[in-house]
Amino acid sequence: MAGLLLSETEKVFILHGVQDDYRSDGRSNIDYRPMELETDVVSHASGSARLRLANTDILVGVKTEIDVPKPDKPDSGRIEFFVDCSANATPEFEGRGGEQLASSISNLMQRAYHSSQAFNLKQLCIFEGKQCWKLYIDILILECGGNLCDAVSLAVKAALFNTRIPFVKAALMDGGNVDLQLSDDPYDSKLLDVGSAPLLVTLCKIGENCVVDPSAEEESCSVISLIVGVTGNRQYYTQEEETDKKTMEGKCTTIAMHGPGSVAPKTLKEAINQGIIAAKSLDEALGQALLRERQENIGFKKHSYGFLK
Amino acid sequence: MTGHVSIRLASERVNHSVSSSNELPRFYTPGEVITGMQDFMRGHGTYAEDDSLKASVAGVMQKVNKLICIRPLKSRYVGEIGDVVVGRVLEVQQRRWKVETNSRLDSVLQLSAVNLPGGELRRRSAEDEQMMRKHLQEGDLISAEVQSVFSDGSLSLHTRSLKYGKLPQGTLMKVFPSLVKRRKNHFHNLPCGVSIIIGNNGFIWLSPQKQDVLYEGNKDEIEEYDLQPVNRSDRETMARVKNCIAALVASKMMLDDTSIMFAYEESLKYPSVKDMLDPEAMLDIAFLAQHRINNAIEE
Amino acid sequence: MPLDYRRFNGPEDSVSYKRFTKDYLKSYSELYNNLIDEKGRRKDGRALEEARSMCMFFARTDMVSQAKGSAYIELKKTKAVCSVFDPREIPHQNEFSQLGQLFCEVKFAPFSCPNQRRTHAPDADEKALSVALRQALEPTVCRHLFPNYQIDVFVYILENDGSCLAAAINAAGLALANAAVPMYDIITACSVAVIGEKMFVDPTEAEEHLAMMTPEKEGTNHGIITMSMLSELKQVSDFTQIGSMDTDCVTKAIEILEKECENIVPNIQKVLVLNVVQCIEQRKQLEEEAKEREQALNAKMEEWKQLLNSG
Repeated sequence: MAGLLLSETEKVFILHGVQDDYRSDGRSNIDYRPMELETDVVSHASGSARLRLANTDILVGVKTEIDVPKPDKPDSGRIEFFVDCSANATPEFEGRGGEQLASSISNLMQRAYHSSQAFNLKQLCIFEGKQCWKLYIDILILECGGNLCDAVSLAVKAALFNTRIPFVKAALMDGGNVDLQLSDDPYDSKLLDVGSAPLLVTLCKIGENCVVDPSAEEESCSVISLIVGVTGNRQYYTQEEETDKKTMEGKCTTIAMHGPGSVAPKTLKEAINQGIIAAKSLDEALGQALLRERQENIGFKKHSYGFLK
Repeated sequence: MTGHVSIRLASERVNHSVSSSNELPRFYTPGEVITGMQDFMRGHGTYAEDDSLKASVAGVMQKVNKLICIRPLKSRYVGEIGDVVVGRVLEVQQRRWKVETNSRLDSVLQLSAVNLPGGELRRRSAEDEQMMRKHLQEGDLISAEVQSVFSDGSLSLHTRSLKYGKLPQGTLMKVFPSLVKRRKNHFHNLPCGVSIIIGNNGFIWLSPQKQDVLYEGNKDEIEEYDLQPVNRSDRETMARVKNCIAALVASKMMLDDTSIMFAYEESLKYPSVKDMLDPEAMLDIAFLAQHRINNAIEE
Repeated sequence: MPLDYRRFNGPEDSVSYKRFTKDYLKSYSELYNNLIDEKGRRKDGRALEEARSMCMFFARTDMVSQAKGSAYIELKKTKAVCSVFDPREIPHQNEFSQLGQLFCEVKFAPFSCPNQRRTHAPDADEKALSVALRQALEPTVCRHLFPNYQIDVFVYILENDGSCLAAAINAAGLALANAAVPMYDIITACSVAVIGEKMFVDPTEAEEHLAMMTPEKEGTNHGIITMSMLSELKQVSDFTQIGSMDTDCVTKAIEILEKECENIVPNIQKVLVLNVVQCIEQRKQLEEEAKEREQALNAKMEEWKQLLNSG
């Protein structure tokens, strides 16, 4: 995001603050701003979530459709990401203004979800080699106040957690075609295993240090940021106390750099480690929030809050 | 070493409204008839049609003698002569700077309206015109006073006083201009060691309190001093004040030095400043501050 | 870029015949065994940590005579052409930008890939490569020297046998130097494919393909990393990773890539020096020719003068 003017002295103040590990609103370099999450906000989507992080507002809807699997992966489903930078967010996105940003985010998400250790596409298989589920993940950027990637990845994971896929009662081969019978009951559906879905962490390099969750002012002080996608941990997303609590280390599923600057190899290594630590606490917080919401929904006392604020 | 992350649910959303002692005022919506009488004067946010005065924005009515204005919460800043504003230099033009002050049009700071180094009574020469960018460049923040209002509503500023001019290190906050109370003084040195400029235009500038010793020194020395790191304790108090203001703004409370100071004192029960980013803490601080303001009024 | 409707793009749903060959149906372990022989050597005879830069590297400049600067790079079967054009004003831009911009485009030839045919319209893959290329080149070009102008860098990949991003970056760096665009440092890039414990430096297409596939054993590392470096300044200008790997693996890969990027520098330098030497020689030759011509002319003049004087 460009376009924000800052004076030299303001930049110096932010820079020294990052050096001091104490930012202008009291956060340390690895703290996130409070976020707000709601799932199941769009009635016509299989799963949806809305996440608000300070001034960044993301709405994600998941649509499931039936498709033919890719020839080289007959037993896997498909997943596709689309990002829409609406001009509602900032006037800069008007027309084709947001296209570049949108394609870079969707590309990043696609890469982060590529590995089967991040998201297992085999759970989307219906009939090997013939039919599979295809998840269309549409990401809408409603408001843009810095740190888009992290917010998008959190919202996507929440929406996938919320996604229900109907049970296939029977799949019959009829000649060369597949005949599917789906259950009529909308509650007769399965949830996806999304525990290991990756989260993206943006590390903004300011001076010699990296910060997570930069505000718009901080973003304009930095010339280079590193985006690390880290797999999640399943244990945060189930209520069952698993007996073998093996602490899964987060693994990098994608790393990318953004911005006109460059970094030293040593800083790069440190930043990757910092990103993995940040992703772990993000993942834990997200899991807790989602489980809490599911708990509330069991009693059918859910009120939808939606966009009223 | 783990970062602090908090994800809340929408169902746990906090209602920021703090009930103040005075009752709810009457709200007007655009097109609503305010009065049918002719002998009132048309102010901001109103228009006259069919012998009656109607509101053009949604907000509350303000009546000064015969002048009727409707003040919306979110309006841009409407300048008045003598207001203290904080602004950001957008452009260096011929003999003037264009300054963003959150007003409807960009404001103007004339080269003749600033104090140039070397005495007040110096003639402005052609060199000064070429050195304008040395004095103030794009992105710089200034504090200034509104000198006059042009017919199109844009403001002309001046910094012809020692207290105005380019701002040193610190942070800027942007709030709704309607939340800023008009006071005699908008420059405050809070007892906690933070100096604050509450611009009438809703731009609030926080900076560490400065030792005045250096002001006599030459320009280079001052500049060097301006780039020195701010020490940790100053930084912490600044962050606390900033979060206090954010809490007051979230609850739509009026800002002046007393309300900020009340909020600051109440916030001291949160030892860590970043805890004050939580909506509950924000509401708590705003609520306690409101309580103290009410008490103060009663006394 | 708008779609080219005049070109016949072929039926959408055609598939490569290779799908029906035996090779295609090979299992993961079979493919894996195909890559390395018993002695731990790769199919093309390289050791695991041996890049193609040492033995199978070929680069030249001035490939495209019309361009300001151009380069051709060959890593055995990966072949890329890059051309750089003169700076021009940024089209459709209202705001003045202090720094010059780079416009990068990576394009695959339709026949460059072993399996599917590349379509003419740029796909997501190509767009991602273009973005990565720009990211890699931006820190090395002295962009403040041509404000409000853009330099176009086009890379065409003629044949893809793995590490095409690295090849594209190397070629672009060489072409920029050839075009005499001011740069802070020589830029080099290299990639590594991680399959389990093994790291294939400068992977071929088959190795990349396997690295992107799901390993049979749960939890093993796999993926591809490409890194570009400014080796004199010791700065990483771009780093892209895909797959799934733990930090130790990433750290190890960074070290390997750092070394490998430095190894390529002499190769690039050699080409550039050769270029300069050639230029100097050419000029010398031209100067000599000019001298000869002048001498002949002077002799002729003398002759005429004498003729005139005598006449």
